Amino acid sequence: MNPGAAGPGAAPVPGPDPAIPLALYLHFPWCVQKCPYCDFNSHALRGETPEDAYVEALVRDLEHELQDGERRPLASIFMGGGTPSLFSGRAIGRVLEEVGRRLSFAPGIEITLEANPGTADASHFRGYRAAGVNRLSIGAQSLDAAQLKKLGRIHDPGQAVDALRLARAAGFDNINLDLMFALPQQTQTEALADLDGVLALQPEHVSWYQLTLEPNTEFAARPPPLPDDDAVAAMFDAGQQRLADAGYAQYEVSAYARPGRRARHNLNYWEFGDYLGIGAGAHGKRSGPAGVVRRARHKHPRRYQETAGTPAAVQEQRRLSAQEMPVEFMLNVLRLNAGVAASLWEQRTGLPLSALDLPLAEARRRGLMEADPALLRPTALGHRHLNRLLELFL
Amino acid sequence: MKQENIRNFCIIAHIDHGKSTLADRFIQLTGGLELREMTEQILDNNPIERERGITIKAQAVQLHYRAASGEIYQFNIIDTPGHVDFSYEVSRSLFACEGALLVVDASQGVEAQSVANCYTALEQHLEVLPVLNKVDLQNAEPDRVADEIEQVIGISAVDALRISAKTGLNVPAVLEAVVAQLPAPKGDPDGRLQALIVDSWFDNYLGVVSLVRIVNGSIAKGEKIRVMSTGKDYEITMMGVHTPKRVFKEKLETGEVGFIIAGIKDIFGAPVGDTLTRASAPCGEQLPGFRQVQPRVFAGMFPIDAEDFEDFRESLQKLRLNDSALQFEPENSTALGFGFRIGFLGMLHMEIVQERLEREYNLNLITTAPSVVYEVLTTQGEVKKVDNPAELPEPGNIDEIREPIIVARVLMPPDYVGSVMQLCMEKRGVQRNLRYLGSQVQLEVEMPMAEVVLDFFDRLKSVSRGYASFEYDFLEFRAADLVRLDVLVNGDKVDALATIVHRDNAYNRGRDLCEKMQDVIHRQMFDIAIQAAIGSKIIARSTVKALRKDVTAKCYGGDASRKRKLLEKQKEGKKRMKQVGSVEIPQEAFLAVLGVDKKK
Repeated sequence: MNPGAAGPGAAPVPGPDPAIPLALYLHFPWCVQKCPYCDFNSHALRGETPEDAYVEALVRDLEHELQDGERRPLASIFMGGGTPSLFSGRAIGRVLEEVGRRLSFAPGIEITLEANPGTADASHFRGYRAAGVNRLSIGAQSLDAAQLKKLGRIHDPGQAVDALRLARAAGFDNINLDLMFALPQQTQTEALADLDGVLALQPEHVSWYQLTLEPNTEFAARPPPLPDDDAVAAMFDAGQQRLADAGYAQYEVSAYARPGRRARHNLNYWEFGDYLGIGAGAHGKRSGPAGVVRRARHKHPRRYQETAGTPAAVQEQRRLSAQEMPVEFMLNVLRLNAGVAASLWEQRTGLPLSALDLPLAEARRRGLMEADPALLRPTALGHRHLNRLLELFL
Repeated sequence: MKQENIRNFCIIAHIDHGKSTLADRFIQLTGGLELREMTEQILDNNPIERERGITIKAQAVQLHYRAASGEIYQFNIIDTPGHVDFSYEVSRSLFACEGALLVVDASQGVEAQSVANCYTALEQHLEVLPVLNKVDLQNAEPDRVADEIEQVIGISAVDALRISAKTGLNVPAVLEAVVAQLPAPKGDPDGRLQALIVDSWFDNYLGVVSLVRIVNGSIAKGEKIRVMSTGKDYEITMMGVHTPKRVFKEKLETGEVGFIIAGIKDIFGAPVGDTLTRASAPCGEQLPGFRQVQPRVFAGMFPIDAEDFEDFRESLQKLRLNDSALQFEPENSTALGFGFRIGFLGMLHMEIVQERLEREYNLNLITTAPSVVYEVLTTQGEVKKVDNPAELPEPGNIDEIREPIIVARVLMPPDYVGSVMQLCMEKRGVQRNLRYLGSQVQLEVEMPMAEVVLDFFDRLKSVSRGYASFEYDFLEFRAADLVRLDVLVNGDKVDALATIVHRDNAYNRGRDLCEKMQDVIHRQMFDIAIQAAIGSKIIARSTVKALRKDVTAKCYGGDASRKRKLLEKQKEGKKRMKQVGSVEIPQEAFLAVLGVDKKK
């Protein structure tokens, strides 16, 4: 926890609460093609990546966002997409430089960029490293050629392996691999083979997550034949064991890391920290005297670029009500195996812990949360049935 | 209006035989309503009635008709329900009438419920005028159907008017026939006031509104009336008729039918069937009123949210004012908490009550499997009535259980006799009689009422493709080898899931029930064991396997609000579930017993 945290009952201070850490998310909305399972804000690229114009828009947007005098140092930066790796090292360098002019970087800041193996490029990777990016997240998704095709990915298994090798060669020593399971008609043997393949590459971090059908995707409209719930649960159990045996500790529902290699940017989401969301369709969350405000930018790249730098770039803004706070907070923190200290609730929401008394008592009675009053921590059962547990906080 | 120019009548017809269309034609021909004001089928007022195409409550419409002779007549048309569950309300409506139009679809022929209602009308000495409707249809067979009316009901139908309510063909002749053939009300205009409460309902703004038939004397606005059963006096503040628009009047005369409002706030202040008289000059005795109807089917209803219990009680009290057949008393279930044991006339009545409670009173309810009333002879020689399986005494204390037996009369075309008989046998029926009447067959069967109330009606419709109709009368209580089938969820007996079944069917029922429950109870965090038992003996079991994992795979910075909405939706979907111990049981599970026979 941050030093200097405001104690319970501290009077609200004008401006953002300095005790709540701040992160920056930058969205790059283009992909070579849209994947049928993906519900992130991504748009198939037609023609050249409009690097300069988009970088300018990001800078204008950030400038506008910081008008209220935000002074907190950035603890992490995450460049996600879409496919940020379509952008050159020069463009990424320019973005980070402009961010650095406006905000200070906390010592040891984590700066991550998402890379698609299909667009992996040695000079790009060297450029990112030189620009200050110190962590790469590579979307391998599967190491099975047939599955990659079904998932609409533009790369083959060899490229995923190459991407990691290129990243290492460019000097990256902190790499995440994204891998999915419960893929169409996937057997447990296949899922574990995929996982073993990824572990053999020795990344520092693995995001191993279940394929789910999200609304407004091609898979939701025409669902592929997925393994049933029991088969998925069995894959999950077996995979957990593999990951643990290989030295990757689960710390969140789908996140596994070697010691000291947790994704700090994501941890900040799950600890209900603040983040600026800059870029087309990016979401931000900031706390201040007015409470917790969520803000989203226009999704469409053209509209976003036209409005960036003006209030019109914000498509949606809402302040969380006290009624919404318990579930918004819990659906993040209870994803963490270790949960969080109970005191974090008051610090991050400004509400008294007593607001959670009733649902907490019920959750503990049902054996879904640990009894320790100093902790908000799910039991193993609660962690597996998080959706049921969270219902109590609605 | 001169008394001899009043005609009070109802229209007896099967669903879809054209009653509402004909009533609409009457209204149109007599100028009761501008064409543009007519939403289709005005008499079915209640939204549930409209959606289901049935009539539940009596309605009255007053029309003024200029006859061919030039005389003006006042017609009061009292609508009647057409479903077997509501035959009691039919007899109530008939009390306000001197005549009835029997409307029969000339392509379909007579059906059982119309026959039964027609008999009731004849018993109450009404003049019945048969009318053959839909003669414009290609497959209409008016001669055959006229012959059928004579054979089945026993009234002359040679001169029955042949009409089409839809096209308007011959409808004016029906109006003339009403004038010429239906009698005017008899009653003493100078006598002391006697008015029959045909129906009462509660209006949130006006309080209690009652539909009354003035039998003797007259009644005027501002007068003090007395409700005879309670002896309480009220001043009439408003009165009038529906044309079908609401029209206020100063006075209602002998023989007329209209509504009155007398500032009665207590919903039990104006009971249906009661007599109103003048407070200053009361009449000597009450009108005969109606026989109190006995509910046939009982079910528990429980608010999903325990805090709604008092609202639920109040809503039931309000509903009961409009529905005197509704009976209820508090019930305490170990599984479902506090609710009410409610008596209904039949399954349709039950469905409608639940629908009205949810729609009009905004309650969320769980309904348990319906049960008939049993007579239990205990070893001490006492006879107990049991309408709730959970209250059946211990087997050791039971000498004999008697179940209600009915006589069902099914009317159908000959083609379906085989499949209908097979259905009746499956329902433990014993054939009494089989008669060929014109082009239809009448089958009389003795059957346990428990087998009939559950799904007989639906099954009959399906095996006869909708051509068979039926009505029934209670016959007697008869001893049978009955047992209580208990259902245990995770080892705990759930009282609200118990049913009483015939021992011969118990094993099949138990097995089907366990299977059905396994389908409707969704997977939860733990294995759920479902067992069916007779006494301490488990006769069937199934398991709802635990869901091993229920967690959203991804949640990053942009997802939180969307995930919250998904959770809210998920919770909303569980509105119709009741937490029993640690298990969420959906409404379908409580009614699973109704469906167990269907899949065979």
